[in-house]
Amino acid sequence: MPIYPLMPPLFAAVTLIGALVGWAVWRNAGLPGRRGAFVVAPAALLGPLLTMVPLGSCTFEPGRTGLDVGVGVVAFCAGSAVLVAAAAWIGRALSMPGGAANLDDRADASTFRGGAPVSLLLLLPTLVVLAVFLYWPLAETLRLSAQRTRRGNPIERFICVDNYTALLGPSLEWWFVVPLVALVVVAAVAWMLRNGDLSRLRLTRRVRGWLLGAVLVTGAASLFGATYRSVFTTTMILSGGTVLIGLAAGLGIALLVSQPIKGRAVYRTLLIWPFAISPPIAGILFFVMFDPLTGIAGHLFEALTPWQMPNYRTDPVLARGLVIVASVWKTLGFTILFYIAGLQNVSKNMLEAARLDGANAWQRLRHFILPALTPITFFLVVTNVTYAFFEIFGTIDYLTKGGPSGATVDAMTSVVLAQEWTGDGAARSLILFAMVLAVTAWQFRVTGRRVHYGQ
Amino acid sequence: MRLKRTVTAAAVALSLLATSVACSKSDDAKGDGQIDVWIAFTDYRLDWAKQRADEFHQKHPKYTVNIQGYDSYEVLFDAVTGAVQKGSPPSIVQYFEAATQDARDAVDKDGQPLFVSVEKAINGRADVLGEPVVLNDVVDAARNYYTVNGEFTSMPWNTSTTLFYANKNLATKAKVDKVPQTWAEIKEACGKIMKLADHPKHCVSWPNHGWFPEQAVAEQGGLIADNDNGRSARAKKLNLTSPELLNFVKFQKGLYDSGDYYYSGKQNDWDGPKNAFAAQEVAFLMTSAGDATAIVKDGQTGGFGVDVARMPYNGDVPYAGNLIGGATLWLTAGQEKGKEDASLAFMQFLNNPTNAASWHKTTGYVPITKAAGAQLETEGWYKDHPYAKVATEQLALTNGSPAATGVLLGSFVSIRAVVTQAIEDVLVSGADPDKRFAEAQLAAQKLLDDYNSLYGG
Repeated sequence: MPIYPLMPPLFAAVTLIGALVGWAVWRNAGLPGRRGAFVVAPAALLGPLLTMVPLGSCTFEPGRTGLDVGVGVVAFCAGSAVLVAAAAWIGRALSMPGGAANLDDRADASTFRGGAPVSLLLLLPTLVVLAVFLYWPLAETLRLSAQRTRRGNPIERFICVDNYTALLGPSLEWWFVVPLVALVVVAAVAWMLRNGDLSRLRLTRRVRGWLLGAVLVTGAASLFGATYRSVFTTTMILSGGTVLIGLAAGLGIALLVSQPIKGRAVYRTLLIWPFAISPPIAGILFFVMFDPLTGIAGHLFEALTPWQMPNYRTDPVLARGLVIVASVWKTLGFTILFYIAGLQNVSKNMLEAARLDGANAWQRLRHFILPALTPITFFLVVTNVTYAFFEIFGTIDYLTKGGPSGATVDAMTSVVLAQEWTGDGAARSLILFAMVLAVTAWQFRVTGRRVHYGQ
Repeated sequence: MRLKRTVTAAAVALSLLATSVACSKSDDAKGDGQIDVWIAFTDYRLDWAKQRADEFHQKHPKYTVNIQGYDSYEVLFDAVTGAVQKGSPPSIVQYFEAATQDARDAVDKDGQPLFVSVEKAINGRADVLGEPVVLNDVVDAARNYYTVNGEFTSMPWNTSTTLFYANKNLATKAKVDKVPQTWAEIKEACGKIMKLADHPKHCVSWPNHGWFPEQAVAEQGGLIADNDNGRSARAKKLNLTSPELLNFVKFQKGLYDSGDYYYSGKQNDWDGPKNAFAAQEVAFLMTSAGDATAIVKDGQTGGFGVDVARMPYNGDVPYAGNLIGGATLWLTAGQEKGKEDASLAFMQFLNNPTNAASWHKTTGYVPITKAAGAQLETEGWYKDHPYAKVATEQLALTNGSPAATGVLLGSFVSIRAVVTQAIEDVLVSGADPDKRFAEAQLAAQKLLDDYNSLYGG
């Protein structure tokens, strides 16, 4: 791996940051901070090699564009971050009393009688499967994303990060600047109010949270070039729509069928039905129903109203809407099932007490039922987001094929559409991977704080 | 007890292993008489090919032809890639016409060309293993398409072209007395049909697929790429902003804006327009000749007559010719002599006059040799099925220029996707054709440059 002039300062910077992280982590655990700095700093120094050695540090070659260098810095820091996280996690556990046992997340974790060799032997089949079907393909995807190569004719040519820079094209847009300015203002207000009125402080903090989310999403969008930006926006609209509408509708229907009504077992079974259908079948069903010439939806619409049914296949807004409706319909059964189960566990006594204290139906829902359902909601958000990112593709493929004019090409569909150019597809799938990582991190941070598991 | 169970389990596992080893051995033992043919059909066309393979085996008991069907050309290419990397490619592979440059550039795992020219392998023989060579009798349009640098590289099999279908009943009702032959006549006829009291929802439709603009450019004598459409040397420079291409796009946009053209809303959607025609939601349809039989039948079921005519052209410029579509059979290089001859013999057998005529009747693809056409004529087939001859007649009108023969391009499938996306944007999102195709030109040129940087020496 050649070393270019830009790299020594980067190495120095990540080493320094690694030392600071180690110091802070060790201090936080009540350990001497200097020892942490000595453990983590070398990891931070070596981490960039993870990405820079395979790339031959090509992004820092003289004559590269600013975009290449930018992607290079991200790859450089990502490698460092991976090793820093590992070193901080394992190193801290080992230096605390109890050693490796600290890596178990529960105090009552037990050990095998035969010790580590036996447990490793028993884990081996799983590890082999993971390595062959998960880690090796991931490594191969990383490698391919730096190649120019085509499906069906396996010549490869190393092209550095061109597959990534082709998707990027940062620009400063008003829709990024406005939330950013608002965030700064609200954060300043929250800081000024920090000792003041509690309810106003809580409101500003909530607004700050929303604005932070908006800044992150718009910031990510403004990094991409025109083509991939539309893919990113579509992904956000489709997954956001599917998850939010799906959860709201699922909860509403679950509340209704939890009422003591005649034959509710039948309703429940019928409602859960669509879950057994695969996403492509949902796509085909909606495709046939909403066909502009022969679809039954159009016939009903034109029989009941004086207007012509608009054609979703030539209207971007309707196309996205229909993809969301089809996806929601498909997952609704799953959501309803879990909410029904959750509702059965809401304490009757608590609701009774609330009623006697004069809480109306809305207040009981808002302050008792919803908080009691948070574990279920958290679980459903995770599964629905996964579904929205990875499986809506099946519906899109049959319903719109990504049209009209790319309005329903989400991140997953764009990977599939790039199928001729494998390297490009690999880069796209790693961007999708980064999106899912970000969403997962956000889920655990935000939802984790608001989930109540009783007790 | 536990010991007994363990022993039983071990015995079962061992016997399974032994069987699988024995099976794989017996596969190998079948040896050199196996001709593997991989094609991208899984429907009745696969059955047809399998029947011919059985007949070939009866004539040549030394050789067994194994036809393997794949869902699509893409899946077939993946399978070929895998087999090449394992070092055991099939003897014959079917590639569609747009992948001709791909097939020429395909290499095996040692970097040697994967396919060998069929003409070279035949080497002037009049018959191979007793099967008369029919390669020299192939109709000109297909011969020209698959001939590069003077060499006929592969054996054409399924070949079609674009045709125009008209709903006779609607046309008569609107007093359109002859099927439109030019773009202007389509507009005129549509004007009359859409004035009917019970007019169909739209007048005309065709799939948004790269093949149609390519046909239109060929008809007007325009080139899609430099170096004579990539035929005198590798194509390096695309031209998606030619007046010929933009003429067609603007013609299509005009029809769309006036409500005459029905866009099914999906790219590469062959079924949507066809279904619209069958449901009499449109009066005219432009699609592959391979669908002629099915469309005429749709008309009989739906109670309307179908006129089959040649693809309309731009009446303002001289006509140059129409392109073929379809696929061709490639011969893998490096087979031992006996096996290569058997593969060649099967290719000739599959396309001999009797089989080519049967293939035409079964599918609607054009009779691939002149002898097959003559045989159909003597049988009186065309008397009962006059529409079946239109495709052959249309292909015979070509002036043989590179423009009318068709372009050879690397990354052609992705370039087609760029074109269909641009057409969709022009139709649906109201993009300006000149501006949008200038963008498409940049994107497509990058694909071609990328391709040439890999394979272009």
